[in-house]
Amino acid sequence: MEGQILPPESLTNEAIAERLTSTALKSLKKRTIKKKNLIYLELNGCSGNIISLLNGQNPDFEYTLNSMVDLKFCNSLMAAEGEPAIEKLMKAMDDEYILAVEGAVALKNNGLYNIIGSWQGKPLTGLQAAKMLGEKASHILAVGACATHGGVSAAKPNPSQSVGLQMVLPDKKMIKLPGCPVHPDWFLGTLAHLLLYGEPETDNLDRPLMFYSTLIHDRCPRRPFFDRGIFAEKLGDKTCLFKLGCRGPVTRVDCPTRQWNGHVNWPIGDNTPCIGCAQFGFPDAMAPFISYDTTRVVKNE
Amino acid sequence: MSKRIVINPLTRISGFMEIDVMIDQNQVVDVKTKGNLFRGFEQMLVGRSPFDAVYFTQRICGICSAAHSMASSRALEDALNIEPMEQGKYLRDIIHCCEFLQNHIRHFYQYTVPDYVKIEQNSLFQADHDDFRLPKSINDRISQHYFDSLKYSRLAHEMLAVLGGKAPHNHGVFIGGITTQATAEKVVHIDSILGKIARFIDEKMIPDVYDIARFYADYFRLGGGYGNLLTYGAFNHYKELGTLYVDPLVSTLESVEAFDESNIQEKIDYSYYKSITNSNQPNEEVTEPDMDKEKAYSWVKAPRYKGLPFEVGPLARLILSGTYNNGISAMDRTIARALEAKKISEVMKILLQQIIPGVDVQKKYELPELATGRGLVDTTRGALGHWLKIQDKKISFYQIITPSTWDFSTRDDNGFRGTAEEALVGTPIQNPDKPAEIGRILRSFDPCMSCATHVYSPGKQVKTIKVF
Repeated sequence: MEGQILPPESLTNEAIAERLTSTALKSLKKRTIKKKNLIYLELNGCSGNIISLLNGQNPDFEYTLNSMVDLKFCNSLMAAEGEPAIEKLMKAMDDEYILAVEGAVALKNNGLYNIIGSWQGKPLTGLQAAKMLGEKASHILAVGACATHGGVSAAKPNPSQSVGLQMVLPDKKMIKLPGCPVHPDWFLGTLAHLLLYGEPETDNLDRPLMFYSTLIHDRCPRRPFFDRGIFAEKLGDKTCLFKLGCRGPVTRVDCPTRQWNGHVNWPIGDNTPCIGCAQFGFPDAMAPFISYDTTRVVKNE
Repeated sequence: MSKRIVINPLTRISGFMEIDVMIDQNQVVDVKTKGNLFRGFEQMLVGRSPFDAVYFTQRICGICSAAHSMASSRALEDALNIEPMEQGKYLRDIIHCCEFLQNHIRHFYQYTVPDYVKIEQNSLFQADHDDFRLPKSINDRISQHYFDSLKYSRLAHEMLAVLGGKAPHNHGVFIGGITTQATAEKVVHIDSILGKIARFIDEKMIPDVYDIARFYADYFRLGGGYGNLLTYGAFNHYKELGTLYVDPLVSTLESVEAFDESNIQEKIDYSYYKSITNSNQPNEEVTEPDMDKEKAYSWVKAPRYKGLPFEVGPLARLILSGTYNNGISAMDRTIARALEAKKISEVMKILLQQIIPGVDVQKKYELPELATGRGLVDTTRGALGHWLKIQDKKISFYQIITPSTWDFSTRDDNGFRGTAEEALVGTPIQNPDKPAEIGRILRSFDPCMSCATHVYSPGKQVKTIKVF
């Protein structure tokens, strides 16, 4: 099993992450991999992805920090503050680094709707930082819906003129990890793959296949209800949530098998529709999230 | 000699914040707290399905998303005239308790501890100042707890997901309570984790905060501020259980009285917005962003109660519930957060004992053509309010005043500073080149600038000047 990362679909929820962890640990001991520098940039968003990453279990955050990467900059966690913090960011650019970005890039007023710090007395905008750091990064991870395509930060009418990271770095290759927030395994598993084997295999929209290959609908435990035409009429029902607006049929990610927060539950398990948070176009393309009868006549939409 | 100190970014908070301080003879004489992020949630919500507000508003904040689901669900219940069943309230409040625990553990260990404890395990924790006073044995113990705590905050989110589907950004909290039904298996799953978290709080977190307090006792005299306290009430008004924590109350140095929401106004004299007037009731406020506004310095507005700035949060709640009387300071605020974590674990235990398995609290809801509603609830950081209007079955107006808007408000036309600004005034700064005091005092409020600076709300029914 060692070295095999892409799973046959039948393997259990935690299997991928656990195999990655144990393989990484062995490789570190054998010194076949070296810790890499990571810059974690938070831009226009809710900082929910870093909170989700702290929920990582196998590997957990302590392991990630002490055994996988040297985290050089992270607004939510670093002890330094003010210009000395930004100085660490600037210095980190002297060495090779992986750049992870959560949050969208706000373009309005030349980026001034999202100031991430001050450098040499001048405001440093998220826009400037994204461009500057993105150009020099060895690898780029766009983490969560706002970074992959603008997400909620870019929801209509998009008052801050937010865009996904790719829009300001059009020529740079990046791995996209949509989700609102990202599941810690999606991020940490991708990071582990980068360290151990280089870039993971991705689809034509730059999503790692090991997490984003299969529609939720195709592995949904409530699929038999769909096939027999038995539909929930309200939240809380135990049958297929399709007519309440479930976006499982258009969302490619492994929530049904992986599940969340210690792999204990997920939105459909909570008797609510998937709102497509891990699919490009979230939230506007997925709205309305909840309708009590999607077969109604829709006006003005 | 006066000197200006700018800290940007203030790290270890949620979101982006700049602090601009003037000191004279090593003492703070003036302060501006500045929110440096703007997304405009209130405008985004206009035109959406009212039901979507519950999941949409959670995206304001990654560390306190369940708080927004609580306030928006209550605002919708108010608008739709729905009284949730007690079982629905209990289950929803259990989810909210999980978030308090996750938030308080993370705020103390990941955001506050690096201010006082020299964590040597990783260069990420290398501080800019050298005011570290703990003896090595205590310092090393709390450093280790920084990492140990990650398990318990993670477990708090696991409990949340058992009822809420996932965290951050849960699916469980909704109109009527929650979307799932309790089972014996879910109740014991949560109860077994809760026991572990409660032990961690008792045996690690509370002793750790008191050890820090012992060696940094000067912080009992710093960061006080106006001393005005406000809560919308938390875990209160249950039909059978009464109030488990605190009722809606406000206090100033002169008096304590029942909270009355008609006394809230929001001011924008020094915020990047324009409107017909600079002072508005929450349910009629219509503002547009204006970064060129003279005097303005922040995206955060200035909520006031009877014209005065108020502090909200764990310390305000503990004092107003009559369970803490040591004082109001940066250190009291930090201690209050740990003590409140214990209180919340006790409240949650009581709520869990009320749960009847298998009760379905959900219905198929109908939207009114025209309605207004508001949801006021105290959350991890303090008083949170959502105000909404529905027109043609769509959201026509949405207004949010978050706890961090109260604590990190800008100054106002009456000359009052924001609560945190005032708390900093008079602070002696030992080393102006490496100021440790400012960050410590500000973090005692647990700032969440993702929350405080999301605002922007042109209502369709009111004519305003378009800026773009």
